[in-house]
This record gives sequence, C-alpha cells and structure tokens, in this order.
Amino acid sequence: MSRAVLVVAECREGQVVPSSLEAVGLGRSLASDPVVAVVVGPPSPAVHASLAAAGAARVVQVDHPDPHGASTAFWSTAVAEVLKEFPDALVLLGSTIRGRDLVGRLGARWDAACVAGATSLTVDPDGSVRGSRPVFGGRATEEFRLAGPRIVVAIRPHAFPRPSPTSAAPAVETRAAPSISGAPAAGRVTGFQPAETSQGPELTDASIVVSGGRGVRAAENFHLVEELAQSLGAAVGASRAVTDAGWRPTTFQVGQTGKSVSPQLYVAVGISGAIQHLAGMMSSRVIVAINTDPTAPIFKVADYGIVGDLFQIVPALTRAVRAARGQ
Amino acid sequence: MEIVVCVKPVPDAETRLRVRPDGTGLDEEGVKFVLAGYDESAVEQALLLKEAKVATGVRVVTAGPSPRSEEVLRYAIALGCDHATWIEVPADPRPDAVATARILAEGLKRYPHDLVLVGKHASDREAGLVGPALGEFLGLTDYAGVVDLRWDAGRSLFTFLESVEGGALRVEAPAPLLVSLQQAWNDPRTAKLPNILKSRKAPIERIPWTEVGPAVQERLARSAQRTAFRLPPPRTGAKLLEFKTPDEAAEKLVRLLKEEAKVFP
Repeated sequence: MSRAVLVVAECREGQVVPSSLEAVGLGRSLASDPVVAVVVGPPSPAVHASLAAAGAARVVQVDHPDPHGASTAFWSTAVAEVLKEFPDALVLLGSTIRGRDLVGRLGARWDAACVAGATSLTVDPDGSVRGSRPVFGGRATEEFRLAGPRIVVAIRPHAFPRPSPTSAAPAVETRAAPSISGAPAAGRVTGFQPAETSQGPELTDASIVVSGGRGVRAAENFHLVEELAQSLGAAVGASRAVTDAGWRPTTFQVGQTGKSVSPQLYVAVGISGAIQHLAGMMSSRVIVAINTDPTAPIFKVADYGIVGDLFQIVPALTRAVRAARGQ
Repeated sequence: MEIVVCVKPVPDAETRLRVRPDGTGLDEEGVKFVLAGYDESAVEQALLLKEAKVATGVRVVTAGPSPRSEEVLRYAIALGCDHATWIEVPADPRPDAVATARILAEGLKRYPHDLVLVGKHASDREAGLVGPALGEFLGLTDYAGVVDLRWDAGRSLFTFLESVEGGALRVEAPAPLLVSLQQAWNDPRTAKLPNILKSRKAPIERIPWTEVGPAVQERLARSAQRTAFRLPPPRTGAKLLEFKTPDEAAEKLVRLLKEEAKVFP
C-alpha cells in the first residue's frame, strides 16, 4: 500500500527550520508519491522555494497573518482540514517543541497512531510504519510499529540527512485560514525573543556541540569553551553547575532539566558526567571528553578522552582545529 | 481560578535500566518511581500561583497503575496540592500518549480547570505528547515549553514565554488554557517530613478503570505498539589519548575526528 506523505513545515524568522527540510527528504525516500508540504503562516515565496528545493512537489499554504503560525490549536485545525484530502497519509514533522506539540494535537484530533523523536523510519509493504527512537535520555532505544490509516511521526533533528537541493519550482496552492469559531480561545504571539546564546548555531539544532562544566572554574574562563566552539562552527552548551553558578544563562543547559541534544560530535570540557547531564547528550554520535580527573564518569561514555588540564588542552585544540580548517 | 496539574511517576534517574522478559519495555521490577522532573516544576508553578492568590485550589491528577500512582499523588499533597485524583489504569495493555490523554480528559471533565499544567515531557519516554493531546480533547489551546508563566489580572490574560528553537515567543492567552511547563519561577521545592507523614492519611479520590476504560478500548487495540526496548552495548570507555604536550593531544584528536570518527567539520 502506498501512502501519501505530508510534511507540516515549521518556519522561524521567515525560514523553514532544518528538521522540516529533513522531513521532506525522508518523505521522498519513503514514498513513491510526491511529497506535499503544508505551511501555516503568511505566504512566503522564499519558504515555498526552499520546500520545493528539498523535494516537495506541492506546497499547500494556509494563510495566517502570524509568522509563527499562530497556536498549535489553530495549526491542528488547519492541518486536519488539509488532511481531509488524504485519508491514509503519513504525516511527518520535525521533532521540535512546536512539532511535538502538533503531533499530540493531531494524534488526538485525527485519531492517528503517532510518535515523536524518531531516529529511524521505514514503511512496510502493508503500509504500516516501523522505526525507533531514543528514550531515557539516550540510555535506551524503543522500537515501534504504527498501523492504521492515519500516522503522524516527528523526526529528531539531524537523525536524517538534509536533502540535496533540486531545482524544481514549487506548485503552490493557497487556502484561506479555516474558521475556528467554537474552537478554543486563541492566544496571541506578541514577539520573538532570540535566545541569549553566543554566535553560532542553535543548541538543539547543531551538528557539533561544545559544552563547558564546573572544571571551567569561573565565568571569565568560559570564553575558552566558546572559542573552541567557534573554531568548530559548533553551538555552546553548559552543565547545570555552570548555569546554577550563573556563569551562563539556563538556555545553555544540557541535561535532564535542560536541553536534549543529539549532535554528530559532542565535546565535554571540564564536565564530570553526572547522570542528569548524560541524560541530555548520550545519544550524540561521537563524544569527546576533556577532564583532569581520569575517574570522571564522562570517560565511561565518551569515545575519545583527553586526561589533562583544560586550560592548556582547550586552547591547543582550538589552534589545531583552526589550522586543520584553514582558518 | 482552579488549577489542575497532571503528573506522571517515572523511574528514578539513578535506575539501572534492564529489559523486561518479553523484550518490549523496561523491567519495572524493584524500580523506584518518582515524580517526573518537569512535573515537579508544574506542581511548583501551580503552588506559586496559589501563594500569589491567583489560584484558589490546586488538584493533582495521575492516571496509572498502583502503587506508584498513589505515591506520587501523596508526594504532591505533601508539597502543598489541595486535592488528588487517581485514575486507575492497569499496567497492561499500556495506553499510548493519545489514549492516556483521553483517559485524563475523562477525569478532568469532572473538575473545574481554568489552567491545566503538565510537565514539558517525562524523563522516561520523553515524547511530550500527552499535554497537547489533552488540550485537543478538552478543547483548550495549549503551549509547550513554557517559562515565566504569569497572570495579568488587569487584562485577565496569562503571559509567558514559549521556548522554541533559537529563542522564545512572547505569548498572551486567556483562560482556560493548557500549559506544558519547562520551568517554574523557582526551582521546585522539596516536601518537609511532617507534611510527608500527614500526606499518608490524605484522601485520594479514585476514578475506577471501568468508568474511563470504555472511552479508549478501541484505541488501545490499535495504537502505537512498542515492539522492542534495547539497551546499547555497554560502552567500553573512552579511547584515552597519550601525549607529551597539549599540542600533541590536540593534533591527535583532530586526526582521529577526521580519519576515524569522520565527524570533523
């Protein structure tokens, strides 16, 4: 049984978020039918073009003046309206905060089998969907099977390759916003406040993360971590010790009560590796630890370790990375 | 204003994970269950709103098997919640997120709820789907990843930040509302011993499975199946680099990341 694949695309600051493009690429590899992208927000030719370049054959644009696509209550109404044309679709989204929110709402509204945070996905000949997702902070993997006519899956950022761009032009259909009278009183987005981060990619979206911990000793030493991150084009993270001490804001925190990251490369600088920290980064592909204490638990989960003084190792590493990258 | 907080018991963070005999989930034998981390923040936020005289009452609700359900409810009472409801759900078959939300919705319909608070996600399965699905079933707008939740009495609106990738959206929304909380104003409090002792005798309202089960019977039969639960092969530990100078260590690492791990940018 072949399934139509719809990708609900999320946009921020006028751009499609990377995991939505990864979902389009995955949709192309899973389905023989053309991938349909759904966008809720103000129409933007740039957004339509990047969805088409990622491989979406059709873009269904649901007009809404809010660039953030209004509330997910509105999204789920709008997307469910579009889904009336596709009674047996596989809906894919990025497993972002809003993406997961919409998976829950659509799962309920559309009575779909659903899952968030998938890192592998295949469609069986009978149309059921199989995949896996990390659970317990990456300490275990759950495999799942979703059956039935309606399936919604959010994919973890970076788990699937970014599609190589095609030069196709988008076929765009515009729909008026559905009326949600009788639906829940909507909230209103009054502004966007960029995270207090250093330059570089967003923490949960970065393919490389460099995090600093208690071993950095003081706020004024944190630039060492940031310079290494900059040399690698990485996002900067921190352990709870650092954010509790106020050396960096809580938006930097990686761990059970902070952000979960799953980059290709995670570099832990001066982080001992408490279980609460490990819960936020264990599903990283390659882990490097730099710590003076050879018995630190971080070395048990790391792939490569340097036992040494971070105040000497990190600047040397920054220099070596810059040299290797011709910076 | 009446607040309902929905909570989930999860294995303690220090739990040594084992696979249960049928291979499809965590072996829960002997596992200690505690209130999920973000749910602690949700309870904290509810209590802060009550202390600020925004809320008149806080009810804590969970849906699950015994004894972990009563244990987390009693802990929430010891923290300061006024009322507790336990929706009895058997351990098998495991309801998925949408079925759990439906079960909670059946329970919540019985109580006033101007604000429904849940934790952003539970630390075990980390899906974060129950809150939004519950919003859909109750006909409430929901926001996830919420920080700095405040009530603007003058305008009768909640104001808060919704964490999204790259920053946060400033949002205002009227009650009734469902919020998946990322962070309360303060770190969650811990319960004091006398309150823990007192909570052992606190009344817990019970909603039997027979009253909520029929609503999800059909869904239970065909929802997401967990087909396997796998633990990674034990990590062998880091390959420790041998070096004489920091520069040598740095160069070795760069080479390994390039040639062996192939993750060098």
